[in-house]
Amino acid sequence: MSELDRLRDAMRATERRGATLDLVAVMRAGRRLRTRRRLAGVGAATMATGLAATLVLVAVGAWPSDPPRVDRPPPVAVAPPGTAAASPVQRSATPTPPPTPPPTPALKPMGVVIDSGVRNGTDQRVYYVVGVSVPGEPGVSIGLAAGRRAPDGTLTTDILVNDVQGVDRRPGFHQIGYDERSSAVPVPTFGYFVGPAKRIIGTVGGRQVDARLTFWSVDKQVVIFWFDPTELTPGDRLDGIIARDSSGRRL
Amino acid sequence: MARGDAEFVEFARAASARLVHAAYLLTGDHHQAEDAAQTALVRTYASWPRIHDDDAYGYARRTLVNHLVDGWRRPMQEYPTDEVPEQRRGDVADEVATRRWLIAILGALSPRERAIVVLRYYFDLPEAQVARELAVSVGTVKSTSSRALEKLRAAGARAADNQEARR
Repeated sequence: MSELDRLRDAMRATERRGATLDLVAVMRAGRRLRTRRRLAGVGAATMATGLAATLVLVAVGAWPSDPPRVDRPPPVAVAPPGTAAASPVQRSATPTPPPTPPPTPALKPMGVVIDSGVRNGTDQRVYYVVGVSVPGEPGVSIGLAAGRRAPDGTLTTDILVNDVQGVDRRPGFHQIGYDERSSAVPVPTFGYFVGPAKRIIGTVGGRQVDARLTFWSVDKQVVIFWFDPTELTPGDRLDGIIARDSSGRRL
Repeated sequence: MARGDAEFVEFARAASARLVHAAYLLTGDHHQAEDAAQTALVRTYASWPRIHDDDAYGYARRTLVNHLVDGWRRPMQEYPTDEVPEQRRGDVADEVATRRWLIAILGALSPRERAIVVLRYYFDLPEAQVARELAVSVGTVKSTSSRALEKLRAAGARAADNQEARR
C-alpha cells in the first residue's frame, strides 16, 4: 500500500461517528450573524474626504435589537462606532437608513490615508485606519480598511478588517485582509502589525514575499503593510508571515 | 421551526461528523476542530436563505477550510490519546496508532499543504475545485500537492525507521 493510499485510509478510518454539535447554539449565533450582516449591508462607505459627510449610517453596536455579541464572530467584523461599514462595500452602494436608529457621523479615516502606490485605473489603492466598535470588546477600537481614492478625493472602501476580540494594539500580527472577489478590482493582501517591525515577510507556496510597510500616523507602533499584487496574487492565502526588527531579529 | 430551519437541521446533522473530522485533520486538535466546524455551520446558517438550494455542503466545507487556513498562526497541536478509554480494545489501540501516525505526518505539512491534502484526498475533490475553494491557481494546487506528498513519503519513511528502531 502506498503512502497516499495509507493516508486516505487513515483519514477515513479515524472518523468519529456520531460527532454532535450544539445546533441550537449554531442557529442562535447564525441568526445574530445574519442580523449583523444585514445591518452592515445597509451601511455605506462612500464618502468624500475633507467634506462633511451626510450619510446616515447604522451603529451596529448601538442597534437596539442587536444581540450583545456573536458567539463566534467572523474574522472580518465590521462595526465602526456610529457606523456600520460593509465589508465589502461597493462604490455604487446607496446608503439606506434603517427605520429607527438615529443619524450618526459617517465613517472617517483616523490619521493619514496611506497611498500604496498601486493604481486601479485612475484610482489610488489606499489603506486607512477607522474606528470600530465590537459589542462586548472594549479593547477593539480600530480597524484597517482597504479602499480606493478617486482623483476627486472620493474614497471607496473595499474591505475592512478588525479584531473581534482581545486588544487591537496587542503586539504582533492582527487580522489580515484578503481579496474576496467582491470588489470591482482586486484588493492586495494587507494587514497590520503592532511593534517595531522594519521588515515583514510572507510565505506562500514555499516562496517568500516582502511586504511594503509604513507606520500609522496616529500610533507609530502600528505598522501597516500590504503586498504588491504583482508579487502576491490578491486572494492567495499566506502560509506564514513574520516580522523582523531593524537588526533583523524576528519579533 | 421555519421550513428553512428544518432543512438546515437535517443538513447539519448529516454534515457535522465529516466537517468536524476534516477540521481535526487540519488542526490535530479535537476541541479546535469542533469549534471550527461549529463556526462553519454558524456562517452557513447565516447564509442559509441564499444557499440552501445550492451546494450547502460545499459552502460549509469552503467556509471551514478557509477559516482554518486563515488561522495559520495557530500552531498545530497533537492530542492523539485524549478521550481514549483506559480499557482499550485492540481496534481502539489500532485507531489510536493510526490517528497518531496520521497527525504526525499531517503535522509535517504547512497549513496550505494540509488543506490541499484534505480537500484532495479526504473530500476527493478534483484539483480545479480545490483551486477554486482555496482561491489559488490549479498550478499552485499541483505544485503544493506534489510537495506535500514528498513530505508525506519522507515522514512515512521516518516513521517506519522509528518503528524498526524500537523493535
